[in-house]
Amino acid sequence: MKQTAIIFFLLGVLTFYSCKVDPKIIEPLPTGNLVEVVPDGWPQPKYTFSVNTISEDKFALGRALFYESMLSADNSVSCGSCHQDFAAFANAEHAVSHGINNHNGNRNAPAIFNLTWHPYFMHDGGINHIEVQPLGPITNTLEMGADINPVIVKLQASSKYKGLFKKAFGSDTVNSQRMFRAIAQFMGLMYSYNSKYDYYKRQENNVQLSDAESKGYNLFIANCNACHKEPLFSDFGFKSNGIAISTFYQDSGRAHITGLPQDRYKFKTPSLRNIAKTAPYMHDGRFNTLNECLDHYANVKPNQINLDPLLQNNGLPLTAQDKQDIIAFLNTLTDYKFLGDKRFSDPNY
Amino acid sequence: MKSILKITALFLLIGFSACKKEKKDPDPEPETPAATTGVLKVEFEHMVYDTINLAFNQKYVNAKGDTFTVTKLKYYISNIVITKNDNSTFTESNSYHLIDLADPATTLLSIANVPFDSYKSISFTLGVDSAANCSGAQAGDLAQSKGMFWTWNSGYIMFKLEGTAPKSPAPNHVIEYHIGGFGGANKVQRNFNFNFASTPANVSSSITPQIHLTVNISELFEHPNLIDVTQTGQYSQLTAGAGSKLFADNYADMISFEHVHN
Repeated sequence: MKQTAIIFFLLGVLTFYSCKVDPKIIEPLPTGNLVEVVPDGWPQPKYTFSVNTISEDKFALGRALFYESMLSADNSVSCGSCHQDFAAFANAEHAVSHGINNHNGNRNAPAIFNLTWHPYFMHDGGINHIEVQPLGPITNTLEMGADINPVIVKLQASSKYKGLFKKAFGSDTVNSQRMFRAIAQFMGLMYSYNSKYDYYKRQENNVQLSDAESKGYNLFIANCNACHKEPLFSDFGFKSNGIAISTFYQDSGRAHITGLPQDRYKFKTPSLRNIAKTAPYMHDGRFNTLNECLDHYANVKPNQINLDPLLQNNGLPLTAQDKQDIIAFLNTLTDYKFLGDKRFSDPNY
Repeated sequence: MKSILKITALFLLIGFSACKKEKKDPDPEPETPAATTGVLKVEFEHMVYDTINLAFNQKYVNAKGDTFTVTKLKYYISNIVITKNDNSTFTESNSYHLIDLADPATTLLSIANVPFDSYKSISFTLGVDSAANCSGAQAGDLAQSKGMFWTWNSGYIMFKLEGTAPKSPAPNHVIEYHIGGFGGANKVQRNFNFNFASTPANVSSSITPQIHLTVNISELFEHPNLIDVTQTGQYSQLTAGAGSKLFADNYADMISFEHVHN
């Protein structure tokens, strides 16, 4: 009798408790680490997940899709093939992307993090929204070489994806909007804001910069920050930095999108966060080391078409020691917490 | 002991009933209210030379005198607004329609939730507004899987016509017009507005009016820009910009009002 009473009592309490729960949070909650992040002092992001509500199931679907080779024409290449977690989602040791049928692409796979602040995507800025970004590489004949509808058919036929779509969206229908929103959620939640530089700026854990790093930071502010602007380390502008046009790729850059002569050979300013991990460098991956990059900036050939005005005077006035100090500073931009974050690694391994 | 049980049971009952009240019951209406809205249909009939029904793979001659065929025709109609006799308007919500000649059902639009009234005119846009071009992954007719969204330079292909022309220098003599560009001087959306003259469209519980429009594909090749399928940018036009605008200026007078069936 007593037991029954207790059970009844508990049931009653539970009933009241469930009544009190806000209907908004009855849905499975993220475990607390899948949340939108806007670090102190950063601008407001362009993408806010307002129409793509964050959930663990959507994130899990996005993660599965990011590493899914069925997204390519011959099931051989996934997003993760060229965007590797240990390289801050750039492509280690690949100047340009290696696509289906042994094709080589014509640009270097950019790193992925803090994408919610990007007003546009790709080196030429041709893609205007994080959700439609995957269309670029998926349909590029040199990269994943697929059409979106055959990809949808393949996913719809897979019991694994039927289950993942059902969990994420409430029904097992695969469509392009669901696919892209799930991938956008996965990529958009890749935040990098915990480098040594960040701890130093936030005065956390007593982190101090070394002499070289500190000198490098001052040199960085004087010479680099105009384009690679803190705290995102990019102004998201399009610039020609004076690396001569590759006669092989003949890539006109931003002009490929706008058709404007004043945009020829301009490319989107990449973030320098995690830069020590994202070699090779430049839009066509022509430099293998940061030393080569700094050597270029210290000696830019003048009078090139559309060369950025800040680099007209033979580039930046940097001594050999300055360059080493700047590299010491750039090394403080590596976010080991982000690089080791298992939520973003391939779930198949 | 027994009283505890009773109290608990009562507690439980109150708990459950409290829950029930909190739920947003769709209160069952005792009577369904009389309908106040109906449907308006808009038919797009595709023609050549104003007089012949367009069919795939048939040979036609354009204004320049060159033979061409059509194998694909898809375009967006959006932002449909109809105007009552008293000048107040009804705007269709989420008004985006992809017309695809390969799927005849798409050439007859059904505009739902139209308040019963007498309507004297219709306006709409050929193309998709700039906001929808910049809003990421879309569903329905705007889904990126519809083959009407550029993957490398974001934006909708507002109008797509593909076919052949013997004089086209392209492989297999194809002609391909993918017309887009959502902003700036070269934007390709074009607005249409038609008055129904003496016969208004009377939407009521017993009448579903049908507005009959014709789309004359010949216009794509003439006025103001005479299209020459031997020329660069005129047998194939696949990007936003001045080249696309050339075709948009031509399709700006491609659609005509015929009549209203009540």
